[in-house]
Amino acid sequence: MDRGALDSLLHNPRIWRGRNPAQGSAGIASGYDLLDQHLPGGGWPRQALTEILTEHYGVGELRLLMPALVALSAEDPLADFEEPGWIAWVAPPYQPYPPALQQWGLDLSRVLIVRPKTDAEVLWSAEQALSSGTCAAVLLWPNQLDDQAGRRFQLAAEKGNSWAIAFRPWAAHAEPSAAALRIALQAGSKGTHLHILKSRGGRPAVLHNLL
Amino acid sequence: MQRAFAFKGGALPLETPSVPASTAPTTPTKLWFCAYLPNLPLEASGADGSARVIVEDQRGIHRVLQANSAALAAGVMAGQSSNAALALLPDLIIEERCPLREQQALEQLAAWLETFSSMVNIAGPNLLLLEIAGSLRLYGGLECLRQKLVDGFKQHGMSVSLAIAPTPLTATWLARAGRRVCIRDAANITRALREIPVTCLEWPVATCEALAGMGVKTIGECLRLPRDGFARRFGPQRLLELDRALGRLPDPRTSWRAPERFCADIEMTEEQSNSERLLTICEQLLQSMQRFLVTRQLATQQLRFSFFHLRAPATQLIVGGAGFDHRAEHWLDLLRIRFERVALPEPVIAIRLEGGRHQAMQSGSASLALQGNATRPSRWYSMSQLAERLAARLGRQSIQSVSTVAEHRPHRAWQAQTAAGVVTGWSNRPDSMSRPLWLLPEPAVLTAQGFQLLNGPERLETGWWDNDGIARDYYTALNPHGHHLWVFRDRTRQADAHHWFLHGLFG
Repeated sequence: MDRGALDSLLHNPRIWRGRNPAQGSAGIASGYDLLDQHLPGGGWPRQALTEILTEHYGVGELRLLMPALVALSAEDPLADFEEPGWIAWVAPPYQPYPPALQQWGLDLSRVLIVRPKTDAEVLWSAEQALSSGTCAAVLLWPNQLDDQAGRRFQLAAEKGNSWAIAFRPWAAHAEPSAAALRIALQAGSKGTHLHILKSRGGRPAVLHNLL
Repeated sequence: MQRAFAFKGGALPLETPSVPASTAPTTPTKLWFCAYLPNLPLEASGADGSARVIVEDQRGIHRVLQANSAALAAGVMAGQSSNAALALLPDLIIEERCPLREQQALEQLAAWLETFSSMVNIAGPNLLLLEIAGSLRLYGGLECLRQKLVDGFKQHGMSVSLAIAPTPLTATWLARAGRRVCIRDAANITRALREIPVTCLEWPVATCEALAGMGVKTIGECLRLPRDGFARRFGPQRLLELDRALGRLPDPRTSWRAPERFCADIEMTEEQSNSERLLTICEQLLQSMQRFLVTRQLATQQLRFSFFHLRAPATQLIVGGAGFDHRAEHWLDLLRIRFERVALPEPVIAIRLEGGRHQAMQSGSASLALQGNATRPSRWYSMSQLAERLAARLGRQSIQSVSTVAEHRPHRAWQAQTAAGVVTGWSNRPDSMSRPLWLLPEPAVLTAQGFQLLNGPERLETGWWDNDGIARDYYTALNPHGHHLWVFRDRTRQADAHHWFLHGLFG
């Protein structure tokens, strides 16, 4: 096997290589330095599926994402002449509160809220939004997300150059997942702990009192 | 006196009628293009290579009216009875003549011709007239325009006989006679018409026979007859036609206008239930709609498809977009999404497409490909297209965009718009105290105890003027599970004074 073929194989992000830092594109800075240090690429994985597992909604999962979402929604003068992508919220459990989003600095004109009625429609809408190429990030709250759907999201995110974030109950941590990054958030009286359960190109870790 | 003069036989014996100067044609610049479609009945029925004839009921017997080349090669001739034709060629496809279909084909051609001139006239069941003097400069001269028209008719699959003349009737007669001539100068009309047989005028049979009996066979011979005698024998209408053809009298024509809303249907030869095949037929309809809309520089927001069944009532399918669009591919995309979820009760025999409300087309500016960044593929389609796709399946009310409202009451401080277009969000003065990322639809009584107040109170007492007033003290709280809550105490009712209400989560 010649050198070039080997290189291209090693650059495949699906190949996990021991300690080596992740190859390929840099991540989206999460806004939390400690987290960035533990994520390959120094941030949230682009063009990939991220799963966030929580016991309840509202433990800080949005606060964790907000700095990155704000950066994505902002006009980036250096990137090119394209307008920034949209941020789609598919089947959120409560109402995302626009005044709070604005306080964080999110551009509300780039927010799209989709409320499908059935599980199948949730998956379909999220896949449409991901593969459309217009959404910088797609947040979704599915009731069900099997391995196959996860893989579809992974492909759609690659196709549409988008970032998929699926919020799932803690009970799902035992299921296999195609996600590039799996994070569990646990809130307690002593603060919020963040577990990196799976990180493609990185290592599992536990971070305390991040938020 | 006139007769005597006429019989002496000058070059132009018909003297100029006494027409007031004002009504005489004052603009000699008109130029009429006439397309005569002799094979319209055959060509309107669709064109494929197999042998095909159009039959018409003539005194109780179905006789061949027209046959295509494959049928002619096998010896089928016009005038044969359909049984005789079948005996010659057992595979022959026999179709009844359908005047409605011919009319539709003619209108389709007229709609296409509207791209060349504002004055299109359907002059007869197989005649189209087009005033082209005003279009010559745009299309780069007569020869170019003529070539474009010839090519266009060929693309439509129509065999056509063309003529160009300064008056509509002259152009018509020349086209009927099959003379591919182009007359630009009115002075040459008489010479061009001289040899045209009288049968091309399509005058009543009795008139033609009477003329033939007199030995008059061409228009030139006709013109040599005395005016008043001619009018007495054959009626003033015939004389008027001759005068109009020669340009002595004005010949006003009404200009045909295509309907403002698109409506077309396709009838299938056999029932069809395969959805892919049906979509292909819908695509044809959408393509012709696109041509219709582009010609008028319009875009539409809603389409209605009707799928007709043999026994069941027609299935209606309304496809709506968030914005106005004219592109067939866009509508086909939306239709495909809707179509997946439609259960047709029966196979389909015909499809109709009707356009909805129109609006002037707005063409966006395409971005320069040079600026593309290799690592970042361009956004394939716009946000409104994504919203349309989602709305097509989920319903319009399921797609929201949000904005803030300058209002202190938390539940009124925002609003949602259905089906994202472009939201003109105006940047609001942020509230001084932090707001939760999740808002509950309704405040809930908080039964759990033991939470710890972190921040507050923020007193909101407002809205007394519209019967939706609030008087609340809001706090940020942390419960034992580590959740950050947005809670309040209601100050309006004494009974609620000790209750805590949960209104949001800081997520």
